[in-house]
Amino acid sequence: MSGNIAIKVEGISKSYKATKALENINLEIKEGEIFGLIGPDGAGKTSLFRILTTLSIADSGKASVNGRDVVDNYEDIRRTIGYMPGHFALYQDLSVEENLNFYATVFGTTVEENYDTIKEIYSQIEMFKTRRAGALSGGMKQKLALCCALVHKPDVLFLDEPTTGVDAVSRKEFWAMLSRIKKSGVTIMVSTPYMDEASLCDRIALILNGKIIDQGTPEEIRSHYRNRLYSVKGNNMFQILQILSPLSGILSCSSFGCECHVAVDDNGPDEKSLLATLESKGVTGCTVERINASIEDCFIGLS
Amino acid sequence: MWKYLLKKEFKQFLRDPGMPRMTLMFPFLIILVFPFAASMEVKNIKLAIVDNDNSLQSTLLTEKCASSGYFEICSNGNSPSQAQAMMDKGTIDAILTIDAGFAKFLEGSAPSSDDLPVGIKVNTVNGTRGSIGSQYLNACVSSYVMGIKSATGTSVGQIEIKETNLYNQFQDYKLFMIPALIVIAITMMCGFLPALNIVSEKEKGTIEQINVTPVSKFAFIACKMIPYVVVAYFMVFSCMLLARIAFGYGCAGSLLDISIFTLAHIIVMASFGLLVSNYSENAQQAMFIIWFFSMIFMLMSGIFTPIDSMPDWAKIITYANPLRYFADAMRGIILKGSTLADTWFDLTCLLGLGGLTTLWAVLSYHKTN
Repeated sequence: MSGNIAIKVEGISKSYKATKALENINLEIKEGEIFGLIGPDGAGKTSLFRILTTLSIADSGKASVNGRDVVDNYEDIRRTIGYMPGHFALYQDLSVEENLNFYATVFGTTVEENYDTIKEIYSQIEMFKTRRAGALSGGMKQKLALCCALVHKPDVLFLDEPTTGVDAVSRKEFWAMLSRIKKSGVTIMVSTPYMDEASLCDRIALILNGKIIDQGTPEEIRSHYRNRLYSVKGNNMFQILQILSPLSGILSCSSFGCECHVAVDDNGPDEKSLLATLESKGVTGCTVERINASIEDCFIGLS
Repeated sequence: MWKYLLKKEFKQFLRDPGMPRMTLMFPFLIILVFPFAASMEVKNIKLAIVDNDNSLQSTLLTEKCASSGYFEICSNGNSPSQAQAMMDKGTIDAILTIDAGFAKFLEGSAPSSDDLPVGIKVNTVNGTRGSIGSQYLNACVSSYVMGIKSATGTSVGQIEIKETNLYNQFQDYKLFMIPALIVIAITMMCGFLPALNIVSEKEKGTIEQINVTPVSKFAFIACKMIPYVVVAYFMVFSCMLLARIAFGYGCAGSLLDISIFTLAHIIVMASFGLLVSNYSENAQQAMFIIWFFSMIFMLMSGIFTPIDSMPDWAKIITYANPLRYFADAMRGIILKGSTLADTWFDLTCLLGLGGLTTLWAVLSYHKTN
C-alpha cells in the first residue's frame, strides 16, 4: 500500500429539493484499499457514489478521483473507473459474451487484452456465455456485472450495495472475490447496509442521514466506543428488553439475534445489578457478560 | 466505438419481439389496407324513393339515380312516413321525394316560378356521408332536369361547367392519402420509438452504466437514432415501390427531394422524441405524452381534413405542427412533381422547428444531470 490518496472528498453537500441527501462529507480513501461506506437505506450512500462516478453534480464541495476533479475532469475519470450500480444495469437482451465485449469496446479495449483481470470471475459464468443476461440467476448477474465493471482494468472500482439481496454464501464468495481484486492493486469503494461486512473492509465510514458519523479502520471505530456494553442472553428476549430499556443509565437496548446488547453509561448498572434486576422481575436463567463493541453497536451508539 | 454502439443497437432492434415484424408489416398496411379504410369517397348510399308522381318522368329519374353508381335503391313506392321510419331506424341514408306534378313541371305546364317538386332528406349522423350524399343526389336530380329541359328546348338558363382535375385526374383518394400515410408512419417510427427506447434504458437503469463509460452523450443518442433512420428510409421507399406495383402510382417528383424532406422530418421528430424522453421517467409516462401529441399532430396536419377549412385559431396552431409541412411537401412531390423551389417554405419551417426542438432537447438534457 503506497498510502497515496485515491479518492478525496471535501465538504460535499447535495440536496434534492427540500431533502438534504449529503451534508458536508469529508473522506480520504487510500490507493489499494477496500473502503466501506456503511449505513442504512436512505443514508446517502448512492448519492455520494453518483457524485464520485460523475453521474451527478454536488451542490457544494469538491471531490477528486485519482487526483482528477469529478466535475472538471469527468471524462478522464470515466475512463479509469469501474462502476457497478445497485441494480442490474447491463443489457438483458444481449448475451453474457456480448455484454462483456460491448463494455470492453466502449472503453477502447478488448476482452482478450484484459482477460487476466476478469479470468477468475468470468470462468465461473463462461459456460453461460451465449445465454441472454436477462436469463441469468441473481448471483450470475452479479458476477457478470463485476466482470463488465472490471473489463477495462480500472484503477478504482465503485460498488454500490453489491451484496444487497444476495444470499449468505454468495456474499461470502463476493467478498473473497473483492480481496483478490484488491491484490491486483485496485482501489475499491463499496457501500453496504450490512454492518457485519464492515470488518471485511480495510477502512470504513459510517453514514447516517447524509452525514459521516465516524470513520477509520474497523478496529479504530470499535475503540471509539466509549460506553460499557453487556450481552444478555435468556429465553424470553422480549421480556428482557421490556425490563431493561426503561432503567436509568441504560443508553440503548437492542436485540442481536438470540442475545440482547445493552449499552450502559458510566453511572449505569454493572452486570451484577443487571442480573439482579432481571431476577427480581422473575426472569431467571439469564447470563450477562461484558463484551467489546461490534460495528453495529458503534452505529447504534452514534445514531 | 461508434461501430460497436451501432452493432449493439441493431442487435437489440432485431432481437425485439415486435420491431422487425412491425417494420415489414407497416408498408403493406399503409399501401394495401389503410388507403381503402381512410377513403373519403362515399359510395353505396342507401336511398329510399317516395314517388308521389308515378309518371314516366319520375321513373326515369329513379333509374338515373340507380345507374349513377353512388346509390343503392333500398325501397321504392313507400309512403313518406314509412320512409321516415326507415331513416329513423338507420337502415337508409337518404330519401328522395318526388311530389305530384313533377312530370308537369318538366313539361313546362306549371308556372316556372314554382319550385321543383322534389325533396331530399339525408341522414347526417355521419356528417361527411350526409353532406356528400346530398351533393350527389342534388347533382343527379339537377342534371336530369337540365337534360330534359334542354331536350324540350325550354329555357336553358344555366351554363354547364366542366371540371378538370389536375395532378390527380380521377380524384383517386388512395393516391391522395398514400403520401400522408407514409408521413404518419415515419412520425411513429422516428419520433416516438427512439424516445421510448431511451426512456426504457433510463427505466432499466442501463443508461447509468453507459454514462460512466467514455461514450459521449452525442454518440449514444446518434447511435440510437441511426437504426430508426435506416428503417424510416426503408419504409418510405418500400411504400412507394409497393404503391407502384399494386396501383401503378409513380412519383412525379424526385426521390432526392423526398429523401431530403424525410431526413428533415426525422430530425424534428427525433429531437421531439428526445425532449419527451428527457421529461419522462418511465415508458408509461412517455407513452402518454407521445399519444397526446400524436393526436394533435395528426388531426391538425391537414392529412385528414383540409387546413383551409379550419377556423383561424386552428390554422395558427397548424404552423407549429411538423406533420403539416412534411405531408404538404410529400403530396406535392409525389402527386404534382414539386421541386425544392416549390416546397422551400415547408422545408424552411421544418428545419426551423427542428432547430428549435433540438436546442430545447439538448438544453433540457443537461439540466437533468
